[in-house]
Amino acid sequence: MNKITSKKDLASWLDGLMKDKVLIAPAFVDNQSVFKHVANVAEITFDFKNTALSVKEWFFPATEPLFTIHQKDGDTTLEPIDIENEFVLFGIRPCDAKGLKLLDKVFLGAPTDTVYAERRDKTTLVGLSCLEPSPQCFCNSMGTAPNNADDVDIMLTEVVDGYIVEAVTDKGKALLSVAKLSNSKLSVPKIKCPTELQVKNVPEAMKSCFEDDYWARIADRCIHCNICAYVCPVCHCFDIRDYPTSEKTERIRCWDSCQSPGFTCAAGGHTPRPTKASRLRQRFYHKLLYFPERFEDFQCTGCGRCVALCPVNIDIREIITDVPKLGEKSATKA
Amino acid sequence: MMDKNIVKQIRDKAKELLSNGTIKCVLGYETGTDGMNARPAFIYEPEDVDRLIFDNTCTHNLSTYLRDKRENPVAIVVKPCDARAINVLLGERQIEREKVFIIGIVCQEVVQVSWGELSHDAQMRCKICNQHTPVIYDFLIGGPVDESAPKAEPPANVTAMEGKSSGDKVDFWSGQFSKCVRCYACRAVCMGCYCTVCFVDMLDPEWVGIKIATPENQMWNTIRAFHLSGRCIGCGECARVCPVNIPLDLLNMKMEKEVGEHFEFVSGLSSEEPAPLASFLKDESLGIGE
Repeated sequence: MNKITSKKDLASWLDGLMKDKVLIAPAFVDNQSVFKHVANVAEITFDFKNTALSVKEWFFPATEPLFTIHQKDGDTTLEPIDIENEFVLFGIRPCDAKGLKLLDKVFLGAPTDTVYAERRDKTTLVGLSCLEPSPQCFCNSMGTAPNNADDVDIMLTEVVDGYIVEAVTDKGKALLSVAKLSNSKLSVPKIKCPTELQVKNVPEAMKSCFEDDYWARIADRCIHCNICAYVCPVCHCFDIRDYPTSEKTERIRCWDSCQSPGFTCAAGGHTPRPTKASRLRQRFYHKLLYFPERFEDFQCTGCGRCVALCPVNIDIREIITDVPKLGEKSATKA
Repeated sequence: MMDKNIVKQIRDKAKELLSNGTIKCVLGYETGTDGMNARPAFIYEPEDVDRLIFDNTCTHNLSTYLRDKRENPVAIVVKPCDARAINVLLGERQIEREKVFIIGIVCQEVVQVSWGELSHDAQMRCKICNQHTPVIYDFLIGGPVDESAPKAEPPANVTAMEGKSSGDKVDFWSGQFSKCVRCYACRAVCMGCYCTVCFVDMLDPEWVGIKIATPENQMWNTIRAFHLSGRCIGCGECARVCPVNIPLDLLNMKMEKEVGEHFEFVSGLSSEEPAPLASFLKDESLGIGE
């Protein structure tokens, strides 16, 4: 027996949550679906393809202060960032939820990134199954699925007139204690998945094609913007700088990307990745070899944003398919 | 919609130039991974020319790659708008004419391109375009086009923006720039943005600051628009690639309109005439402190 809520009851539940929590939900702005703070349920869109930017910006914002430095009478004090509110992130897709699970491996490992940890702690994730994956989607090749409930606190799947509700974690159960739920014989519908990619041998194959001309040929087309990194739910590189005023200094961090020429530039001007090809190769080695070696998972959730938004169609699925063939090619040569 | 005759001529010419050693690489188009929209293609071997295509999804302005490939002679497939970009690059001494073989295509229009979706709607810039034959080419594909039909100019959305109050314009653009994530795709895709160190990447002194926040985003986008004034050929790629849908082409079209009105200048029609805001005449009077 599953728990179910009507659309009307879901709306009143969300409305109630907003009394003491900040609600972040998908909404349309300039014809584009984005996650934003919503002040009332009417702003929320329940029917959307994947948002342009992933939910990572709510845990690892594009720009955020890390702490403030005060200097007075020879004393220096650090004032940490206080995150006052509790958040409910409504409408997160399983691919983005998997993205947070992967970001946790980076930010919550030792030493813990305290600002990220606090935002994660104070946020409850309410997932929403994808009933119709987009052509760029390949989440099922990256260890999740359009209705996977593993990485959220509550999972909702739309059925006729309502949603099937799964309370996944204690945090989720607590939030649902005030929801109006009823029993139903309806079960979570089977969702048609995109064709699965063969990914098992990819990390091994990556090891033997580092010097292959392949990367330079893909990089020919790459214009080296930062779109892929910034729309990615798992890319997490950043730059840090201090901005002083007469009273205090703020230490801030901002998104940065390995595709940018200045990213690896060291004092004195040396850049270990001076060419476009070396930067493009780094992106895919990080996602398909280095991250799996360190964290036993690809640094990709199959959300397909980079596929759909790349201005010149650099398609990670094409690379995943090509790389094992490159290995075969070099084996024949040897 | 693909014209088989145009495609055959592109492939034949590419094969000839690669086989006889005139060039090392062809910058053209091939079908992307969605099976419906084109993407840029770099062809090095005569046996690979059959990858080349041309249709109304070939929106990319390939001239943006010419500086990357300027060591060796290349051939490039250009639409009339892209041909003007080549003139800008030639005029600014960024590429050498002898090293670029220009395959010009007579173009009616390109459609709005978005991965995985096939559109039949012409791009806005194409609706007001009155130049269907490239201004510069070595080999022309396609027949003559009647250019006499008058087009709605200036673009309706520029006129609409001009009609707004200053306050409304500020609200509109701050709203748009608040969405900017400074991914620099507008810069990366632009043939005119080629500075070795862009002002926005200057760290010492730091000119803009690294924050991805409205004031910095506004500074970035405004200065970029000024740097392109009189150099932008209106390919609209900046707006197409923007992941958060900022209508950057609107800003650039307005600047081109201003340059046109003040200097009677249209960028890229010739490689000889210097861009008004990117050149300085010895006897020029600035009208300041004189």
